[in-house]
Order: sequence, then C-alpha cells, then structure tokens
Amino acid sequence: MTVDRRFVLKSMVLGGAAGVVLSRSMPLLAGVTPSHSGIRPALALVGGGAAEAAFLQGARAAAGTRLRVQQPDRGLGFMLDFEHRLRAGRPMRVIGLLDDAAATLVLDLARSAGARIHWLGQHTGEAGSTRHRLLNTDLAEGCARQLSRHLHACGAGFTLDEERQGSAAPARQLAGPARNGAGSAQWAAGVGYLLATLGTRPTMMPRVSVQGTLPSGSFVSFSIEV
Amino acid sequence: MSEQMNGVLPRGVTQKKFNAAVEKFRALLGEGNVLLKAEQLIPYNKIMMSVENAAHAPSAVLTATTVEQVQGIVKICNQYRIPIWTISTGRNFGYGTAAPVQRGQVILDLKKMNRIIKIDPDMCTALVEPGVTFQQLYDYIEENKLPLMLSFSAPSAIAGPLGNTMDRGVGYTPYGEHFMMQCGMEVVLANGDIYRTGMGGVKGSNTWQIFKWGYGPTLDGLFTQANYGITTKMGFWLMPRPPAYKPFEVIFENEADIVEIVDILRPLRIAQIIPNAVVIANILWEAGSAHLRRRDYIAEPGHTPDLILEKMQKDSGMGAWNLYAALYGTQEQVDVNWKIVTDAFRKHGKGRIVTQEEAGDKQPFKYRAELMSGVPNLQEFGLYNWRGGGGSMWFAPVSEARGSECKKQALLAKRILHKYGLDYVAEFIVGPRDMHHVIDVLYDRTSEEETRRADACFSELLDEFEKEGYAVYRVNTRFQERVARSYGPVKRDVEHAIKRALDPNNILAPGRSGIDLDTYETRRSAKSTSSDES
Repeated sequence: MTVDRRFVLKSMVLGGAAGVVLSRSMPLLAGVTPSHSGIRPALALVGGGAAEAAFLQGARAAAGTRLRVQQPDRGLGFMLDFEHRLRAGRPMRVIGLLDDAAATLVLDLARSAGARIHWLGQHTGEAGSTRHRLLNTDLAEGCARQLSRHLHACGAGFTLDEERQGSAAPARQLAGPARNGAGSAQWAAGVGYLLATLGTRPTMMPRVSVQGTLPSGSFVSFSIEV
Repeated sequence: MSEQMNGVLPRGVTQKKFNAAVEKFRALLGEGNVLLKAEQLIPYNKIMMSVENAAHAPSAVLTATTVEQVQGIVKICNQYRIPIWTISTGRNFGYGTAAPVQRGQVILDLKKMNRIIKIDPDMCTALVEPGVTFQQLYDYIEENKLPLMLSFSAPSAIAGPLGNTMDRGVGYTPYGEHFMMQCGMEVVLANGDIYRTGMGGVKGSNTWQIFKWGYGPTLDGLFTQANYGITTKMGFWLMPRPPAYKPFEVIFENEADIVEIVDILRPLRIAQIIPNAVVIANILWEAGSAHLRRRDYIAEPGHTPDLILEKMQKDSGMGAWNLYAALYGTQEQVDVNWKIVTDAFRKHGKGRIVTQEEAGDKQPFKYRAELMSGVPNLQEFGLYNWRGGGGSMWFAPVSEARGSECKKQALLAKRILHKYGLDYVAEFIVGPRDMHHVIDVLYDRTSEEETRRADACFSELLDEFEKEGYAVYRVNTRFQERVARSYGPVKRDVEHAIKRALDPNNILAPGRSGIDLDTYETRRSAKSTSSDES
C-alpha cells in the first residue's frame, strides 16, 4: 500500500468517528454560516482527548464535513508519512490540536518541508482556568480578541498572551476572571473554529455543546500550509 | 517590487541596507529561497527557552543548495554586515531549536544540501552534506544492504550527523562520541574560501575520510560549537554491524545506588568490556520516555514528591536509576563479556538485570535497544508530555565517571530544581571517564510565572555548579554567553582573537558560544576604561 493511500484510509476512519460526535451537537450550531472563501479544504490533526474533540467540533462548525481528520500516533511511521505528504507538492492546509510531543514533531517536520505557519498556540488547562500563548501573523488579526471574548462568555478564567511574528510591539496580554466554577473545553472549540476560519471575514464564534468539565493538560494548536 | 519593511532587523543594520542585501540574496538564490514573510519565519521561531519568542526572532531565512551559493551568501553578508545563523536540520530542541542566538540574525538553512556523497562499506566511512538526516542514511544503508551501523542522538530519524557532530552531540553505540568519529570537514570561511581539514587539502587525496590529522595543526575542533566557518561537508566513520548484539538493562531501586552503579561501570567502560555510551536514566526520564504524564499521578503544582516517585516505581517496575548498555561482537565475544558484566553486577547484589528476551516490546527498553543498535525512533519525545507546556532546556554538566561525583551532582541539581518547583528529569551518558549529566528542565511556557522560575532555576544551576568546579558541555542559545564566562577570560580572548582573524566583520553567528566581536570588544574596553580610572 502506498503512503498516500494509507494516509487517506486512516483519515476516513477517523473523520467518520468525529462526525458522530459532531452530529450530537449540531442543534446548537444551527444558523452558523461562516465564510469559506479563500480557504482550501483542511485536514485536522487531533489527539484523542476531550479538548481535541471540542476543537474538532469548533473546526467542523466552520469547515463542515469537508474537514478530514487524522489522529497521529506516536510512531516514526506516522511522522514519515506526514512528512511525505507535506513534501508531495500539493497545496494543503492542516490545522490541529496535539499534545506537546506530537506537536513538536509535526511542527518541526513542517519547517523542513517549507510550510507556512500562521498560527502557533500553546494552551494549558488546569484548576478551572486556561492559559494561552499565541505566536501568529497578521492573518490572525482579531483572533485573540475574539477568543478572549469567547472565553469570557464561557465563564472560565483565562490568560492569553499574543506575540505577532516580526512585530516590534510587545506581546499583547489579555485576561479574564473565572465567573463560574465550571470551566469546560469551550476554549478548544473556540480555537478550532478560529483556525478553520483563519483568513476569512471574522464571524461570531458559536458555542458548541461540550460535555464535562475542563480537561486539564497541555496542548498545541497550529495552522500549517504547504 | 515594493519596499520590504521589517519589524525585525539584524543588529546595527538599517532597513535600507537590509533591503539591498535581500535583493542580492534573491538574485543569487532565487525568490523562493529568500523567506521574509511572517508565516515563513514562525516555523523557525518556535523556541522552548525561558524568554519570549521575540528575543530569538529571525529577520529572514535563506536556503542554499550549493557550496558556491554559500560562498555568495557570505560575500553579500560581508558587504552589508548581515549576521547569519546557520542550521543544518535545526533539530537542537532543548539546546535552542532552529532559532538564532540573537534577534534579527538571518538564518541560513542548509536542509536542501542533503546529498549522501559517499558511503564506503569497505572502509566504513561516509561523506555527507549538512541536510542529510539519520533516517536518510538509515534508509540508504538498509536499501543497499550495507553491513554498517549508525550512531545517533535520541531525535535520531529527523536529526542529522553533521549538525549533531558540529554541536558535539553524542549517541548510544560504541561510536557514540560523534566528534571523535568525525573525519574530514569542508568549511566555507567568512572570506568565501573553502577550507578542507585533515587530508582534504591534498589534491587527489583518497584518505580524507580515512586519516583525521593531516599535517601541521589539526583544526577540526575549531569549527565545532563555534562561528568560524560554515561546514558544507563532513566525513565520519561508521561502525561495522556486529554479528551479535546484546542489549540489557539493570534496574536499581534506590537513588543512592548511583554511587555503586558508576563505580562498577567505570572499569567495564574503560576496559571496553561495555563498549557503548551507556545511559543511566532516572525514574522521571524513564516515565517521560514511556509517555507517562505527571498529571496522572499528581495535580498539585511544584516538583513531584519522592513519595509519588516511589509509587511510580512500584506501579511501573521502573527503577530509581535504569542503566542501559549493550555488548557487540561475535557471539563468543558477547558471551565472554556477558559473563564479566553479570558477575560484576551480581557481586554488587542490588541491580536487577533485564535482557531483551525478558523485556520484549516494553518501553522504554525497546527504544533504548533500538538506539544502541542504530535503529531510529522518536520515542523520547514523550518527555515533552511529562509536564507539558512546551518549555524544555537541557542542562548538561560534565562529571567524572566516579560514583561520589555523580551523587553530588544529582543531589545538587535536585535540590535546586525542587527549590523552583521543577522536576529532576535526568540521565547520565557514560563515556569511559566522563559523564554527560543531561537534565531536561521541563516547564510550562504558558505560565509567565513558571517561565520566570525556570529561567531563574537554570541560572542558579549554572552558578551553583560552577562554584563546585563543574560546567556544562553544551547549552541552549539563551545561556551561551553566560556559560562562556565559566571557562575563563583567557579562553575567551583566544576565541575572539581567532574570530577577528577569520571573520573580522563578525558575520558568522555572532553570539554563538559567547563569541561576538561587537559585544565582547565593547565589554572589554569598558572594563579596561574602568580599571584605568580606578
């Protein structure tokens, strides 16, 4: 089996699984019609946890079923497949939310493949609040403010630092207090939505139905283009 | 073409001069090899150090494909005083990633110079370009069924021999001291000349990858961890694949056992009974490599208490210290040495020996066995999930291979890390006489407070180790100037005298290992003025 074929099959299986999760939350997303102009169909790389599922819900709210999904494993095989894919010469946009280990590898392989990265986010959730550190380009103008409004509306406490690549300006710092004790993975849904709509006319971020409490842990979000 | 306006410029370079240099770079390399857009630069600016990304932001990235282009680049850099930071594969992770040492430096990425120029299976030598990865070499060796074995660092597949050797990195096979196995470099000097070390300057020589020393002064070391030239080719020796290979682990239950482990091991290493670069990993290095996560054991911030570590040991079967080594040779040689090794450890009566047959596919044994036999894997990246948050700085002091010294270093490091609420995640990589005591200072970069703490912790580690006469062999770019001071003023004077002679315009990676004509000269003259006045 060729590398590409393996890649597509894995994506189909995961994409199907994620679609089930999404369909349960669709009523809340009714009426959301984000602009897709200029955005190529995206592949989403996500881990298997609650935050990643929420990320996917947010991303699918914007990109719909065109979004293919793949869950990287930790082996060398996946990374070599992914690198091959990046170097295949076909335009591709990949968004994702991964753990630190997988993201370190994915992003480094993207660099070697000559990819462009408009958004690189480091996120931590713990003790009812979240912390976000973003490094991005002008294409993400307005995203940090939008995310902070979203986090504020969700009621979770947060801090958000945004560095703009190549800017002489200091990092932008935003923060909000916790307004209720029930944090959730809404932040990840928000990031997923923003990444899926990156470069389009900003629209109101939808709230998706995210079950459970705030998942603790550390995550990396990204948008890669080749 | 519209005028380029950059928020980031090289130190002392105006926008006008920068734009003029960029036009020359474009003419030399083509538009696609001169990267200026923010989205092209972000991939080079993902750092793991305890400062903002902005402190290490590049102003541009160049990619070259030929030695002639590298010569052309240094010519332009001299003309416009553009500082360049060269990377080969850029997989230096805890030592600074691909980002430049100083904000604004132009990165020269040699990833496209990735030819395996020659592998000689009879002489067991290789000659490669900077962009060649270990995976590429591994595939070549496998496809051509060559009876050779690679030695590489833990990022293995995605890293490369040239960059790792130039940074004096190590691997885990008998050829694990990579600079020792290097044989012949081609270096583009700051004036554009091409210098070949060893036998490489002799016209028609076929011994460039055979005999290291050549004639007269041997200068290869001058180009490692330095900024005197751009290495465009490197030769190195490959180990013949042995007919028999026996990896093993010895598990020790108590932290205090480190003294006896090292003292038993040293004579076996010096006598080459155990020929490879042995690893002694502590429980947290093991846990991270096995993809365990701290939050699965404890939710409280701060360092992980010993009680939890003991529970982890009990649950996982990992030791407080876990020694990995291997025997190589014919079956007869391996059998003889196995008896010597097992007798030595059994006499001690504490370690539990685990063979490959007993371990099966269990991690971390599996990836360690692969690394010691030249099979690439990415398992050790799991360390980044132990605490999470994207912060990682490798603190790597050198120690004597003497038990009491290793214990002293381990206790000192642990005390300082715990004071700052961070974990002691460590391994010793054992040379015959020395130990690289590698500590991964892991922290959460999303927390400004924890980032400041990690920064202060790293500084204190450097300070306190220096008071005891210890210094690191390698460090991330944030602390390179600081570490250079540990090695004394005369060494620094000599290094800067060489820099003045070879690179008077200070264009090659100023700041690398603390060598920077601009800042060093300024500091020296300020110091000299102040002592004249007093």
